Amino acid sequence: MHIAKQLMAIPGVIAAGEYAYRGDRYTYEGGLTDEQARMASILCRANTLNVSMQAEMFSSFAEHCGCRPLQGWIVRGKQLSVCAVGNFFCLLENRQGVLNDVMTVMRAKVGDISDNVMQVMYSKIGGDVTEQLV
Amino acid sequence: MDLAKLMEVPGVMAAFTYTDKGDLTGQMIKEGNELTPQVLDLLAHTCVANMAVATMEARGWEALTGQKGFEPLQGFSLVGLDWSAVVNGNCGVVVKNRDADYEAAFAAISACTA
Repeated sequence: MHIAKQLMAIPGVIAAGEYAYRGDRYTYEGGLTDEQARMASILCRANTLNVSMQAEMFSSFAEHCGCRPLQGWIVRGKQLSVCAVGNFFCLLENRQGVLNDVMTVMRAKVGDISDNVMQVMYSKIGGDVTEQLV
Repeated sequence: MDLAKLMEVPGVMAAFTYTDKGDLTGQMIKEGNELTPQVLDLLAHTCVANMAVATMEARGWEALTGQKGFEPLQGFSLVGLDWSAVVNGNCGVVVKNRDADYEAAFAAISACTA
């Protein structure tokens, strides 16, 4: 089953989707308009790259610090939260247990990234990944 | 801001407090992990920056879409490979991903900040 569908099956999840690491391709399910989903995809991609860069920096202080590769991030709002793991995002209500359920599914399905997330992202672009990372 | 209380969060590896600029003001680290005060200091700085960015995005999102419910933000979490940092206000915890209870962690740091 598609991960977005699995996430949407959790009561309290408003929308879930997948975004491309480059360009503006995205797919989603749930209570967003197409334009909102496009904006959410751009926002999630930008944040993931930013936080991934931060995780790279932590490793310069402690090589095996356990922070990289980055899996994702969570923004906790007053009534709503957004999670991103890998190239999937999820918008959810702050109901009891929903965030933990969502993170369990996302980490199990797309988390525990085995490779460097920056490398994975650039590999989607194509071409010489190593050269683009220099 | 009670660090000892934060050290009761499930799966906790470290708890820390920091200034509005991100400078570390207190920290407790459980033995047997690679976290150092230096890493926590950098973590605190990045979390202050991430909270600011997230606040800007939440405000923009609410204004553009009319969808309310984000502001005021209750926290930010960076999910690494083995651990996650959960922060809000001037408090933060680092929890092991496999034992993490994100909701409990957000609740604990909100109580710490209050």
